[in-house]
Amino acid sequence: MMEAISLVGQSSGRVGTLMNSSEELIARARRGEDEAFRLIFDRYGRPVISFIYDMVGQRDLAEELTQETFVRAYKNLNNMRDETKLSTWLFGIAKNVARESLRYKHRETDKIGIDDDRVIELSDGKLPPDRQLLDKELSGVIKDALGALDEDKRVVFTLKVFQQRSYEEIAEITGSSIPKLKTDLHRARAEMRRRIKPYLGVGYEV
Amino acid sequence: MKCEECEVLIEEYADGVLDQKSLGPVREHLASCTSCSAFHQEWSREQEIYSRYQRDVEVTPLLWSSIDARIKQERVEARDGMLARLRIQLAGLFAGPRFSPAFAAALVVIAIAITVVVMTLLNSKNQRELLARSNGNIPTPAAAADEGNPIKPSTPDAGPKQPEMGSTVASSGGGETASKKSPAAKLVAARPTPDQLVREAEQKYLAAISMLSRDVNRHRSQLDPIMLARFDAALGDIDRTIKDTRRVVNDNPGDPIALQYLLAAYSKKVDVLREMTAGSEN
Repeated sequence: MMEAISLVGQSSGRVGTLMNSSEELIARARRGEDEAFRLIFDRYGRPVISFIYDMVGQRDLAEELTQETFVRAYKNLNNMRDETKLSTWLFGIAKNVARESLRYKHRETDKIGIDDDRVIELSDGKLPPDRQLLDKELSGVIKDALGALDEDKRVVFTLKVFQQRSYEEIAEITGSSIPKLKTDLHRARAEMRRRIKPYLGVGYEV
Repeated sequence: MKCEECEVLIEEYADGVLDQKSLGPVREHLASCTSCSAFHQEWSREQEIYSRYQRDVEVTPLLWSSIDARIKQERVEARDGMLARLRIQLAGLFAGPRFSPAFAAALVVIAIAITVVVMTLLNSKNQRELLARSNGNIPTPAAAADEGNPIKPSTPDAGPKQPEMGSTVASSGGGETASKKSPAAKLVAARPTPDQLVREAEQKYLAAISMLSRDVNRHRSQLDPIMLARFDAALGDIDRTIKDTRRVVNDNPGDPIALQYLLAAYSKKVDVLREMTAGSEN
């Protein structure tokens, strides 16, 4: 599933190279083939940076922590136990890196800010201006709502709703039991719903 | 199904992970309850809104360049670290105070073993010559010392008397029995023989080796694997030397050189075991 998600927006040439299995890429990367680890980054860089961004809410910090995640992954390739769970393993590292950052780095504000201009630049351009404005505003609201969740709920919500991970995968990534993460997810959804409720009106229907 | 129950299950239903047992009742409830059906629709709209979430972040070529640069730096640091560790180990191997005694001991003991074999061969040759000289009535050093009181044979047909350690020196009266020996002769006779001394020392070494070996075995895991392998190799050499030297001593109990080297081998083993104990404590 992750492969399918990360392939969106990739060029056809790169798609061909992404047909390598995770196990094969890991084996090649362990042998010191730089290109293999580059392909791992191509495949998982986007979901990982999105996840970290959802956790920390700052672009520069998300880029820095994504770097750290992949460097740690490279250094620990030989310690990976199950090569079939590469994405779960990467998300686990990313979660640790993000949490360490949240704990040890001083944050200026509790709530996550948003750089308004860049959101417009990142829109695909096919939407009408009013819709773009709407999505920009909505993205700001979602981002603020995410920032207001506590860390446990934010991790679970992001992995489930934005990364479409299964309960079992989330349990592996977070180390939580499935009943706990179901409870956290239910509460996170309720909090998010309360915050975005004003945007669930007629004007925001698709 | 009550609305409260449905509300709890509706998330799993929407996530597609609801078990088969609950699936039917939830569907039936959603079809009949307008309130829960509206909640389900709202839930679906939420998912649509989340799918429109745009993040202020992207994967850029610069990001990979930064990762690539750091990975290359990590490789250099890892290689440098490995070389530094190797340098320390090699330095310790040839010049360090902890490694050199063990290897020196092994080398010395091997040299000792060779010497013992050579010395034993030489001793055997000397003994044969001595026997030949005795048979040819050539005066021995002991007989020469007694020239003032030449020993007379007890019977006319008795052959030349073989000198014996202790008895020859003490037999100033010629036909005296052992109970009539002089006080000096008794003192000499009461002294432990070299063989007894060696056996006593050997027992002490064996006790020390046993204690140190137990200590080393308890802390083997704390020793550096490379260092441990070197120590084990040295101990193996020493044990072989002890075994060979012991055999020589058994064959030639009175050979002082063989005895001396047997004790030296035990001493070296104690040294190596002490080194290992010190290594595990550091």
